[in-house]
Amino acid sequence: MTGFTTWLQGSAVGVWTRESPSIWAYPTVLTLHTVGFGVLVGANAVIDFRLLGFAPRLPIPSLAPLYRFMWAGFVINAVTGAMLFASDATTKAGQPVFYIKLTLIALALVVTAVIRRTLERGPALREADAGPGPCGRLAALSLVLWAGAVTAGRLMAYL
Amino acid sequence: MGGFVAWLESTALSRGIVHYRWIWPVCEIIHFFGLTLVIGIAGFFDLRLMGFMKRVPVSAARDLMPLAMAGFLMNLTTGATFFIGTPHQYVGNVAWWAKVFCLVLAGLNAMFFETGVGARTMNLGAGDDAPRSAKIAGAVSLASWLGVLYWGRMLPFIGNAF
Repeated sequence: MTGFTTWLQGSAVGVWTRESPSIWAYPTVLTLHTVGFGVLVGANAVIDFRLLGFAPRLPIPSLAPLYRFMWAGFVINAVTGAMLFASDATTKAGQPVFYIKLTLIALALVVTAVIRRTLERGPALREADAGPGPCGRLAALSLVLWAGAVTAGRLMAYL
Repeated sequence: MGGFVAWLESTALSRGIVHYRWIWPVCEIIHFFGLTLVIGIAGFFDLRLMGFMKRVPVSAARDLMPLAMAGFLMNLTTGATFFIGTPHQYVGNVAWWAKVFCLVLAGLNAMFFETGVGARTMNLGAGDDAPRSAKIAGAVSLASWLGVLYWGRMLPFIGNAF
């Protein structure tokens, strides 16, 4: 593991992200990571709050395009996240909170996928066009997991 | 400005914010929760006005807006905490002024929308197109909130705040 993180940190991507004085290097990569997070978790929040009973007049099927935004946010963050990790791999690989963050993201993605599957394939969707949504508990879990991932991400700068 | 900064930093509130080391990270975490609500909920409404996700009835999308407002209030409170704690790193920071400019723009745009064309969008159902001025208001809103996020993230890089 140490060999890998040392190599990654010395790779062209790692060095450029960390050491380039360009505004397009570290500052922009970090900003894109924040934008991607806002889009991914924000779009999730729209669906989760709806399923929890907020805005009951909002038809759940009409929210389907939000999954495309989530994908876009996720791809941006997978790429920028890998770059940020490469820039400081030996330190980040030694941070327990980093692994907590990755675990929470993995769990959140699974819950998000289960909710989507339930909405698209279950009878619940057609029946619950208006009023409180199905998957209320999963939606609450989704919010908690994403909030946890964000918290862990922020704490990486402090712990 | 220098006198105001010196006075603010001499207050017990400002000293307390810096003294208790846990306050800053906790406020940052809340600031990111608020960011998610503003970008997610307000961004969703803005995109609908602009013509995306047309199956969403506009007035129903608007029912979520109190959550965006809650996110904004979280960020106003935590943002004020950052400012009161270390005003010197913001008042001379061009990125901070750019962020404030974007905030004012977002606020004025929201006021214009609420007092003007907004009322005409409330009866728009699934598939309906918003009036041109409402589309512009949506685009300005989205651009200014992304501007707030961008300049906030740039505080340590273009300016020198943390």
